[in-house]
Amino acid sequence: MKYHLITLGCYMNISDSERVRTIIESQTGYEWTDNEAEANLVGILACSVRQKAINKVYSRITKWNKWKHKKSLVTFISGCILPNDMEKFLKLFDIVFRMSELEKLPEMLRHYGVVTPASLFSDLDSMPKNQSIDTFWKITPHYSSNFEAFVPIQNGCDKFCTFCAVPYTRGREVSRPSDEIVEEVKSLVGQGYKTITLLGQNVNSYGLDKKGEEIGFPDLLRRIGEMGNSIEKEFWVYFTSPHPRDMTDEVIEVISQYPCLAKQIHLPLQSGDDKVLITMNRKHSLEKYREIVHAVRRIIPEATLFTDIIVGFAGETDEQFENSRKAITEFNYNMAYIAQYSPRPGAAASRWDDDIPAEVKKARYHLITEDLRKESLACNQKMVGKTCRLLVVGHDRKEGYLSGLTEGKLIVRFASENEDLFGGFVDVKITSASDFSMEGELETYQVFKTCEVLGIKETLQV
Amino acid sequence: MQENTIKPVKNQVKVQQIRHLSESVYVLRFDRNGLSFEAGQHVILGLASKNNGREYSVYSGEQDDFFEVLIKEVQEGDISRKLRKVQPGDLLEMDGPLGFFTLDPDQVLTKKFVFIATGTGIAPFSSFVKSVPGLDYKILHGVRFGHEAIERENYDAARFHLCTSGDGSGDFHGRVTDYLTTNPADKNSEYYLCGNVKMIHQAFDILKEKGISSDQMHAEVYF
Repeated sequence: MKYHLITLGCYMNISDSERVRTIIESQTGYEWTDNEAEANLVGILACSVRQKAINKVYSRITKWNKWKHKKSLVTFISGCILPNDMEKFLKLFDIVFRMSELEKLPEMLRHYGVVTPASLFSDLDSMPKNQSIDTFWKITPHYSSNFEAFVPIQNGCDKFCTFCAVPYTRGREVSRPSDEIVEEVKSLVGQGYKTITLLGQNVNSYGLDKKGEEIGFPDLLRRIGEMGNSIEKEFWVYFTSPHPRDMTDEVIEVISQYPCLAKQIHLPLQSGDDKVLITMNRKHSLEKYREIVHAVRRIIPEATLFTDIIVGFAGETDEQFENSRKAITEFNYNMAYIAQYSPRPGAAASRWDDDIPAEVKKARYHLITEDLRKESLACNQKMVGKTCRLLVVGHDRKEGYLSGLTEGKLIVRFASENEDLFGGFVDVKITSASDFSMEGELETYQVFKTCEVLGIKETLQV
Repeated sequence: MQENTIKPVKNQVKVQQIRHLSESVYVLRFDRNGLSFEAGQHVILGLASKNNGREYSVYSGEQDDFFEVLIKEVQEGDISRKLRKVQPGDLLEMDGPLGFFTLDPDQVLTKKFVFIATGTGIAPFSSFVKSVPGLDYKILHGVRFGHEAIERENYDAARFHLCTSGDGSGDFHGRVTDYLTTNPADKNSEYYLCGNVKMIHQAFDILKEKGISSDQMHAEVYF
């Protein structure tokens, strides 16, 4: 009996899928297959946050339900799903459950065929509840990489940005116990993981839902930093995504104090215009954002800065868009994830006119991407001649080259075909810079991963 | 202001009373049942067992033993029309309290506040005034006609300025943005804006022009 799982959406869903795989493989006897056509159990972790992802769900379930005429097949769906979508899925899938109910999946599968209605098991309220999320977090994930891992620290969102549906799909913010987080990070480091990303919709509001009972985000980072200091292994800890409203100097100072806390800040701006920020319900001004960036530059001058920008948001004027362009230049971003606005069903802004024509959004996207290109190139050019430590992540598109990421998540390629380097650190001297990447020459490397996989304790350094 | 120790609450609430203030504006009062909130926050209110819900600011004060929201029935608004028909004893589904349109506890006793609202955007300011005795505030409330004023007797008359754009029956004939344009802006005050997005954007520009920084402006947009 084999199963296949399709994961749509963001890192949170990817992280959730690792726990789904653990439950299926450890408690149901199904074995993983890459080929969905040979599976007897097929599932999707959906993402209602984007309409395109929901369209993919309908396309898949239509196909799977046709397959049912020819073979025995059980279908399930979970993930980040709006209540209205959930109701529709109940009619299409055999099993529908919220991620917090994951532990019940084996029971649902056992009962399938005896008592089939999915709704028998699912308490599908109009707003997701998160009471069982603590149980979900205790499940040991089936990590999909052996050197990069994602650790959820929080679920849900209380911010209600008007462009976003996450508060309606994942419910209110709930923080995971810090002891569990630190334990999971420690265990990952012990297994040789090199990068660990703390995940949450608003990671830096961690603990605010449990004031007095749980530590806040700076203290969580501090605990992880202290743990890192006590272990003689090199690893980098990232977090995503923070909200500018909750970003404090203390967070930045803690990052600066511990070597294992990566010097990379992803600080979503969304728009460089105060009035658009108001309409987006971001609840911070551009000036507040500017102060945070100044603090980052002052406290961690070497830090790289990434952001998210939406162009063509409902009502965005040419002048307001120009302010986003100015922000790209002012804040010298290394990278920005730029999205052309599209209404997300369920989000407040989906009730407004999506009044910026597609061709205008596209033109704005290209203009601001060009601004970003210049900034990224200027940042990369400053790196030429310097030696950087990289985590090797795989083959580069250029034949005969491998690709790696610096601590600041900048992409560097270097000539090598040694796959033993995958998942290990190497030192590379940067020789040239281009728009969004750099090229370098290999200086030294340590084959941490290979040695540990082979059970050899020594580290090979060349 | 009470300390922010709010627990997110998602439950059913029982309607205690419905108070019609005009043809389209009404107040729903609920049993408080220990619900904790911070003045300025909102809830998502909908009919029980339906996948619907809309955001409404809390209208009552933190110390009141009941809980109220202020609602304007809009023709295209399915929820606001249905909520108008509820009866005492009916159960509604509520999520919250939510939001960050609140007063900074460090500023409450030291700062002056200017509250600028259109229509039911006055709800969070009503909650501020009821919750914080001695608050040094001024309210500009914009409506079309004088009879659309919302329980103005709840405010200190000297601090309340009704701006009517459709007739001269208010304290000021014109929109709140006209008031802001023609009157000086105190540079030491905190400005809270609540209502439709057009008013908020215009007020933002006017205040910026008058030297008020964006960090002194706090906005809650009603859609």
